[in-house]
Amino acid sequence: MEKLSSIGQLEWLRNTILARDAKRKTQVHICMTGCRAYGASEVMEAVEKEVKKQGLSNEVEIRATGCHGFCAKAPVMAIEPLGIQYQEVDPEAASEIVDMTLRNNRFIDRLAYKDPVTGAPVFYRNQIPFYKKQERRVLANCGRISPTNIDHYIGAGGYQAVAKMLSKMTPENVIAEVTDAKLRGRGGAGFPAGLKWKFTRQAPGSPKYIICNADEGDPGAFMDRAILEGDPHAVLEGMLIGAYAIGAEYGYIYVREEYPIAIEHLTIALEQAKELGLLGENILGTGFNYDLSLKIGAGAFVCGEETALMASIEGQRGMPRARPPFPAQSGLGGKPTNINNVETWANVPLIIKNGAEWYGQVGTDNSKGTKIFSLAGKVNNTGLVEVPIGTTVKDIIFGIGGGIPKGRKFKAVQMGGPSGGCVPAQFLNLSVDYDTIQRIGAIMGSGGLVVLDENNCMVEIARFFLSFTQSESCGKCAPCRLGTTQLLEILTRITRGEGQISDIQTIKELGATITESSLCGLGQACAKPALSTLKYFVKEYEDHIREHRCAGATCDSMVISACQHACPAGIDVPNYVAAVALGKYEQAVDIIRERNPFPAVCGRICIHPCEFKCRRGELDEPVAIRSIKRFASDWYFEHIGSSRDPFPVTKAQMAAVVGAGPAGLSCAYFLAKMGYKVTVFESQPIAGGMLGIAVPEFRLPRKVVEDEIKYIENCGVEIRYNSPIDAGHTFTDLLNEGYEAVFLAAGAQASKQIGIPGEDKDLEGLYYGLHFLNGIKKGQEMRLKNRAVVIGGGNVAIDVARTALRAGAQHVQIFCLEPRDEMPAWEKEVEEALDEGIVINPSWSPKQILYQDGKVTGIEFVRCVCVFDDEGCFNPECNEEVTQLVEAENVLISIGQAQDMSFLSEDSQLERALWGALVVDENTLSTNISGVFAGGDFTTGPTFVIRAIASGRRAAIAIDKYLQGASGPVEIPDVKTAMHEDAGLALDEETEQEMPRIRVELEKAEKRVSDFREVEKGLSSQEAISESKRCLRCDLEKERMSI
Amino acid sequence: MEPKEIDWNKLTAVIAKHENEKWALIPLLQEVQETFGYVPPESIEPIAQALKMFPSQVQGVITFYAGFSLKPKGKYVLKVCRGTACHVKGSRNILRLMQNELGLEKGETSADYQFTLETVACLGACFVAPAMMVNRTYYGKLAPTRISSLLAQYGKDKEEE
Repeated sequence: MEKLSSIGQLEWLRNTILARDAKRKTQVHICMTGCRAYGASEVMEAVEKEVKKQGLSNEVEIRATGCHGFCAKAPVMAIEPLGIQYQEVDPEAASEIVDMTLRNNRFIDRLAYKDPVTGAPVFYRNQIPFYKKQERRVLANCGRISPTNIDHYIGAGGYQAVAKMLSKMTPENVIAEVTDAKLRGRGGAGFPAGLKWKFTRQAPGSPKYIICNADEGDPGAFMDRAILEGDPHAVLEGMLIGAYAIGAEYGYIYVREEYPIAIEHLTIALEQAKELGLLGENILGTGFNYDLSLKIGAGAFVCGEETALMASIEGQRGMPRARPPFPAQSGLGGKPTNINNVETWANVPLIIKNGAEWYGQVGTDNSKGTKIFSLAGKVNNTGLVEVPIGTTVKDIIFGIGGGIPKGRKFKAVQMGGPSGGCVPAQFLNLSVDYDTIQRIGAIMGSGGLVVLDENNCMVEIARFFLSFTQSESCGKCAPCRLGTTQLLEILTRITRGEGQISDIQTIKELGATITESSLCGLGQACAKPALSTLKYFVKEYEDHIREHRCAGATCDSMVISACQHACPAGIDVPNYVAAVALGKYEQAVDIIRERNPFPAVCGRICIHPCEFKCRRGELDEPVAIRSIKRFASDWYFEHIGSSRDPFPVTKAQMAAVVGAGPAGLSCAYFLAKMGYKVTVFESQPIAGGMLGIAVPEFRLPRKVVEDEIKYIENCGVEIRYNSPIDAGHTFTDLLNEGYEAVFLAAGAQASKQIGIPGEDKDLEGLYYGLHFLNGIKKGQEMRLKNRAVVIGGGNVAIDVARTALRAGAQHVQIFCLEPRDEMPAWEKEVEEALDEGIVINPSWSPKQILYQDGKVTGIEFVRCVCVFDDEGCFNPECNEEVTQLVEAENVLISIGQAQDMSFLSEDSQLERALWGALVVDENTLSTNISGVFAGGDFTTGPTFVIRAIASGRRAAIAIDKYLQGASGPVEIPDVKTAMHEDAGLALDEETEQEMPRIRVELEKAEKRVSDFREVEKGLSSQEAISESKRCLRCDLEKERMSI
Repeated sequence: MEPKEIDWNKLTAVIAKHENEKWALIPLLQEVQETFGYVPPESIEPIAQALKMFPSQVQGVITFYAGFSLKPKGKYVLKVCRGTACHVKGSRNILRLMQNELGLEKGETSADYQFTLETVACLGACFVAPAMMVNRTYYGKLAPTRISSLLAQYGKDKEEE
């Protein structure tokens, strides 16, 4: 390489390079940085060999490039100018790629990205959603050029900005351009770069230094790494421009030692730039002198702080010092120094080359340009993403990131690493820019986005970050050194279940003190993760402290196995699964009944929180726990039936339960088990509550509910049907009749109204969800004709729609406020409904019901733009301009249920909350009247059957304590059942043997809609046993470890 | 790499190379660490002398940075990533399993100087979490079931020797 001695020679070189590269028509780009961990080197070798073998060496250029971004599908390969991408490429595919694609332009399905919904291959990169929604400016070269070849960078327009600058811009012009572009520091704090440059330029003193902060230490951030590895010259060029503008003669790149590839590529880039005369003396013959060298970090997170970083360059312990003086006045060696982060420097050439105006075309008013984010954690498309500043969190995580794996629920995203905070689900529509994110307690930070799903515990996450900052605190200032230790201790004891409720206040106070009084950013921000999780997830803290419950089922001290902990009723899942695996079905059902008297019901309609937490799901797919439960309980009722001896009455006191739904009956069952005589008062002629009157036959056959109730009755529980508790027979009367405790579990069975015109008329064809379901279930004549519109997006709405289809409606369409992906209904039910031909119209709000001659004729909708507001509250916003008028003979409204409190006389002394619901103690379910307890849907509003069952059991325990005169809160820890099954199952097989989850068979859609037959089929004994054997027995691991 | 008497010639050469460099201490220590696999305590005095510093200053820098170790490390340094992304994907369990398999706590080196078990704040390999590094090789998407086979890969090496 000959040294360039003028700007003209640089341009000459560029033209030569372009002409040379144009000769080879096809380029293959293989990521040789991140993808190396996935065998990219072997792939490249194989492709090179194959190209040579097939004689294409003169036509095909193979480039070892930096990161393409789509790390989730590594190793990744792009073929240009076709514009296609292959993913998860293996060396064996080489000959096929060369022969089919490079030679014949034919694409290979197997290696293409697959549309997650249709499964169809997507070849063109600009059609893959991950890329389609990005704006790759800074990353434009990443993945297209070889980072170790300066020719590629120059060929792609590199050093053009330097040429422009040196030929026609003064340093002041450069600073003005960067200022106009409103470039803000990408390292986290977002300080305007132009301003910083100006300060350093104006500061007296010589020499001046510039530094690139490449000590990317934030756990979860890897965008700097990708730039350094994939496009190092962009950073060099940015710094060259900075040096010229600031008047610096010397620069350093401080890079962390954990990035060996970055160090290698930077070293090569520096050598090449020096050889070409782009660094050193008299650059491009313009008389401008500037040199740059590399400093390698020695492993201390705090060195990312600018004053600590400079101390480290100077060879000292990397401890921060107080500012001012700022580095701009007194930095390295006491001289004016300008520090910017890698990504900031990499933005600079773009601004100079294309101008501030171009640069500002994307972004928000205060933050222009794009930002690179590294997507990691619980998200499908992990990788590097570059988007305009101001893109919403949702677009990044769901649009580009492809959402959360395995259908789990998004909980929060941690932004800004240990110095940042979490952004919870209600802020998904928030725009990501410096100011907005700061407002809600997080920071943009360097751009690390770690996505958390429902299986992560927020207290534990806060503890994790504190343990990080505590160990990385340099120890110089007391607030940080002592404060982090104290915070960590408190958080640790909360996660161990040893916390006190006053700890929450202590964290807040301590956090505020550390924030105010620490010396540097590390200390000032260290409390943020704790404070922000406390702000949005205080319930999780309280549950850890009061109930010893961990929402993510990760805190060891409270969790034996995640499935058991996730179950609201705390069923010992691993043991009954093991019992099934051993063929001991009766024992399996006995284990379930220790916590839940409705095994067959839950085997059908439980939302199975256990499966979402199942550790097997991390390997492949969760164990089909619900189906195993159904199998065991079906076997039980078939072979043993519902008869049994009643529990012996051993206690003198009597208890009454109001309402024979799952909560009431569970309470009664457990009280009977404890030896009490229990009577259940039910206003209806049948028991089961919602199970009996609402859940449609095709999901839960009546026979199943009847068997379970018969069993409970046989346990000694007396159910008095048609015995309403009302003005004629109040719960106070019950207390006088000798019942010493009463549990109110009257459910939530009043349908909510929307409050739109037409709703108030007694129209033919207008129904409310529950009333309709109940009518059908009772066998009333409720045939629907022709078209039915169902309003609502919840589970009951889906039940209503599917029932409508079976009750005569030819066409059923659902309309709901929420966008499709935010519908609260359970996805499995939605899919089954779609299979049955039901149409879902999301994001519509009902406006008025149309009618004629007392009959429904249709309904008008307006477009619902947003369901939740910026604060995360339910506050639908509509666009009245966009309307839709739907003709229909029937409208079924199912927008939710509420408690029907009418049976309680108004002068009842029961304490009510503002909105009319009862005030109950969350722990003991006791009301303000001693001896009266309330629970289930009746106090919480509609929820899932398993929660109602858990509530009933909690009430039984509380009532027992009350009747026995015991004090203190109710404690329901996870316990292992006495019937211990030591079947090791999958744990004993040290293989990664593929054993996919069983597919439960469904009745064919076109057949099942003709009647009310059960849709889902059960497992055979063989299927149940082999599925049970997939269990990893996490509980045993825990036992072994504790020994 | 069992600890033995250090090669003073090598040390002198490293010191000579950096002696006149500006802000030389850290690059010098990095090369000593690279050459010997650790910073031998007996090298502190000569380094301090050459750079005209107090030995305590040199010692202070060595103990401040995670990149320097005063104790010899094993042939294979296993760095389990404890970054956020790895953490939320279960790296705590990976570490626990490694500790069980190797019989080492983090920071310890096995008696035969084959393995050193360490944790690292973040490898920047978040996209393949949970990740670890064995010397300079990255391993990603670790599953509990992969750990023993992965370690066996390095254990085999030992038998051949």
